Amino acid sequence: MATLSAHGISAGLPNGFEGRIFVRPEVGGEVSYPVAHFASFPLPATVGDFGSGAVTMMGPSDVFAVLFQYGPESVGTALFARQGMPLSLSQADFSPILLRRGLTGQSGTQWFFTEAGRPFTFYAVLGSHARRSVLVPKVNALLAGISVSPPTPSTAGGTAPWN
Amino acid sequence: MVALVLALAFVVLVLGVLVAGLLRSHADILRALHDLGAGVGDPMGEAPHRHGQQAGETPVALTLGPPLPSERDATSAAALTGVTPGGDAIAVDVLGERLTLLAFLSSGCATCAGFWESFSHPGSLDLPEGVRLVAVTKGPEFEIPAEVGARAHRSLTVVMSTEAWSDYEVPGSPFFVLVDGRTGRRVGEGVANQFSQVAELVRRAQGDVRPFDVGSRSRAFAEGLDGPARERANDDALLAAGIQPGHPSLYPASLADVFAADAPPGGEGAVRRVP
Repeated sequence: MATLSAHGISAGLPNGFEGRIFVRPEVGGEVSYPVAHFASFPLPATVGDFGSGAVTMMGPSDVFAVLFQYGPESVGTALFARQGMPLSLSQADFSPILLRRGLTGQSGTQWFFTEAGRPFTFYAVLGSHARRSVLVPKVNALLAGISVSPPTPSTAGGTAPWN
Repeated sequence: MVALVLALAFVVLVLGVLVAGLLRSHADILRALHDLGAGVGDPMGEAPHRHGQQAGETPVALTLGPPLPSERDATSAAALTGVTPGGDAIAVDVLGERLTLLAFLSSGCATCAGFWESFSHPGSLDLPEGVRLVAVTKGPEFEIPAEVGARAHRSLTVVMSTEAWSDYEVPGSPFFVLVDGRTGRRVGEGVANQFSQVAELVRRAQGDVRPFDVGSRSRAFAEGLDGPARERANDDALLAAGIQPGHPSLYPASLADVFAADAPPGGEGAVRRVP
């Protein structure tokens, strides 16, 4: 099992998964926060925050997931009121209408929450909604290996130092 | 005559004594090697008879280096874990329905410069379709990330990982390893001066792999079946069709027997009429 760890996010990847944890370079006055991508297929070198450039490459047996951190001003807002990352998703949590980009056959789910004092969204895409009985356990196996540390200067925005 | 016979008998006796002495000496050497843990055969069988070992002494095992993990051997392919030139964490999986070409490069070697240049034109690499290219450099403790980043095209996946160089036993750069994701094995590795040479080797390797790419395997993978589950599914399908162990259809004597099984009722002749 490969283990990824950076920017206060750690992930023990289930077999068949790969991933990336990064902070995009800041442009202008924007502030960047950590993003983690996980996939059961080869991730392209450049992928949009929520999977653009990757979800179109998915096969029916593939899973793609994003853990995206928001700014600290989001902590305490209604959207992030849920405490803790979802640990086990059900098939009913996935729907084709929850996709950021509607692609035929795929389905997705999205959760907003606060974990270790940091506001996140978890977004997952199944390559085939018809195969959700097989694919949702893969997402749950991935979730089981993710942990988040409390905020530090390196996770509070800006380019992080070396891992 | 009698004297001659006696002389020969004496010579044979002396030679016999010499041979017995040599065998005894050889046995002593083997026993000593066993006691040192480097003998031939099973030293454990003689453990109770080791002489010269005092009570309380612990025999020291001789090893040649750190043993490989139980799941590893000379052709196994490990997942790549490291950082990108930008400092982000990255893990690349080499398993799956594809070939992965790992290019072990460095930012300083002169030969590598040509490969970095080739990789900056991904459209002209001429790699077979479905082959994933991943560049692997040593980690930030041995490489300057900015130097690597300056050479790597933004569409190229780059993993900086000294551990990967160790896992794949890379002797130096440039070095290429081709991994078959379906078996999780290295199917080719070596050096080259130009990427066109590497691409040609990959094409040949892909040709070697394809004969084993039987359609039924891909279908089983697509249905999420493999191993015992796949065998059970096959058995269930056969039983549902009334084919049990020993059924004649399982032992075709000719191609006609195979195709007759797919023929419509009474259609054996029709099958044979097909040109």
